[in-house]
Amino acid sequence: MLILISFKSGTPIYLQIVEQVKAAASSGALQPGEALPSIRPLAEELRVNRNTVAKAYSELENQGVIETLPGRGCFLKENHSGLRKEVRRKLLIEEVDRAIVQAHHLQVPRDEFIELIQERLDVLDDKRRAHEDHKED
Amino acid sequence: MNSPTPAIQIENLTYAYGRAEAVHDLSLTVEAGRCYGLFGRNGAGKTTTMKCLLNLLRPQRGQVHVFGLDPAKHEVDVKRLLSYVPDQVAFYPWMRVRETLDYLASFRANWNRKIEQELFERFQLDPAQRTGNLSKGQRTQVALIAAVCPETDLLVLDEPTSGLDPIVRREFIEAVIGAYQQGVPGKRTILVSTHLITEFEGLIDEFTLIDRGRAVLTLDADQARERYQKIRARFAQSPPELDLKTALRVRRDGRELELIVNGAGADLLERLRQHNPEALTTEALTLEEIFVATLKS
Repeated sequence: MLILISFKSGTPIYLQIVEQVKAAASSGALQPGEALPSIRPLAEELRVNRNTVAKAYSELENQGVIETLPGRGCFLKENHSGLRKEVRRKLLIEEVDRAIVQAHHLQVPRDEFIELIQERLDVLDDKRRAHEDHKED
Repeated sequence: MNSPTPAIQIENLTYAYGRAEAVHDLSLTVEAGRCYGLFGRNGAGKTTTMKCLLNLLRPQRGQVHVFGLDPAKHEVDVKRLLSYVPDQVAFYPWMRVRETLDYLASFRANWNRKIEQELFERFQLDPAQRTGNLSKGQRTQVALIAAVCPETDLLVLDEPTSGLDPIVRREFIEAVIGAYQQGVPGKRTILVSTHLITEFEGLIDEFTLIDRGRAVLTLDADQARERYQKIRARFAQSPPELDLKTALRVRRDGRELELIVNGAGADLLERLRQHNPEALTTEALTLEEIFVATLKS
C-alpha cells in the first residue's frame, strides 16, 4: 500500500491518510491481519508530522478499521465495524448525499448516476478479485 | 496530556536595532507538542524574535516566556529545556566532530547516544574530521545532532535549511521527524523559522506569517489550506463581468479566469457556476502560495 498525500487537495493530511487506508482495505490492496506501516517510517517517508500519522491511525482505530496490538503495531481488522447498523447507514447516507449534490451540479441525470455507481462497484470487485488471485498464486 | 503552560508565549514583543524596528508588537503562542512555523521574508524579524527567546536579546517592550519562564530571569532553566540550530553554524574549527559533540554533550544533563549513532550513520559523517573542514551541509548536520541528542522539550530551528542542497534538506527534515519527534507525544515542540516553506509543509501544525516585524496572519495549517483556494474557470466566450472584490487576486487571460480566495470560495464558485463555465476547478493553496498571496496583496 502506497500512500500519496497532496497539499493541494484542501483535505486535511490526516484525513487523506485515513481515506487511502480505507480505500486500500476495500480494494484488497490491504488484507485483514496485514500490518500497516509503522508511524515513524511512514511519517519520514511522507515528510509529515508524526502526530499527523498518529492522529490518522487513532481515527482509523476509532472507526474500527484497524487495531493496535501493543508492541507489535497496527493491523487491518476483519471487516467488522463496531457500529450499529442504523449508525453505519446514516454515515453512508451523508456521503451518498454529497455525491448526489455533486451529480446535480455536474448535470448527471438519475439513471446515469445509478449506472455509474454500478460501474464503480464492479471496478472495486474486479480489483478485489485481482488481489485475491494474486494471493492464491 | 498537554500541560496547560504553552511552550512559548510571546506578548507584544517589540525590538529595534537603533532606530530600525525589527519586531513590532508581535504576539504568538505555541502550545506544547506542536510544530510551529514562523514564516517571513529575509529581514522580517524571525531571527530577532528567536534571539529574544534565547536571551541573546532582551525585549525592549513586551514579554516572552518559555514554558512559563522568563529567559532573562531563568536563563539556565530555559536553556536546559530547549536546543537551537542557528542559520549560521559555528564550531571551533580545530576540534574534530567527535570532540565537538563530546564538548557540547558536557553541558547537557542528558545525551542520547543511540540517537547520536543513528544520525551519524544516516548523515555518513566522519567523527575524526575537523569541523573547520566540514561543508555547510555537514556543519548543519552536526548542529542538528547536537540539538536532538539532549532530548529537550523544545527545538528551535532558525532557517536551518537555507543554503543547503535539496538532498541534505530532505534528510534534515526526515531526521527531525524521525529522531526528534520520537519522544513522548505532546512533549516535543518545534519552532521553525523559514522562507523555504514547501519542505516543512507536512511538519507544520500552525504558523505565523510575519512581515516587517509584524504578525500578518496566524492560522492552523489544515484550516489555511481549506480556506485559501485557487479557482480556475474557463468560459465559452469571454468571462462574465462579476463582482470579484472578495477575491485576493484575479487573473484574466482570454476566456480563462483565475481567482485566489480566502474563505469566500463557496460563494464565488456558486456565482461562477451560474454562468455555465466550460470548466471549473478548485485547488487548495499550499502554505508557500498563501505566503506569496498574502504578502503580495
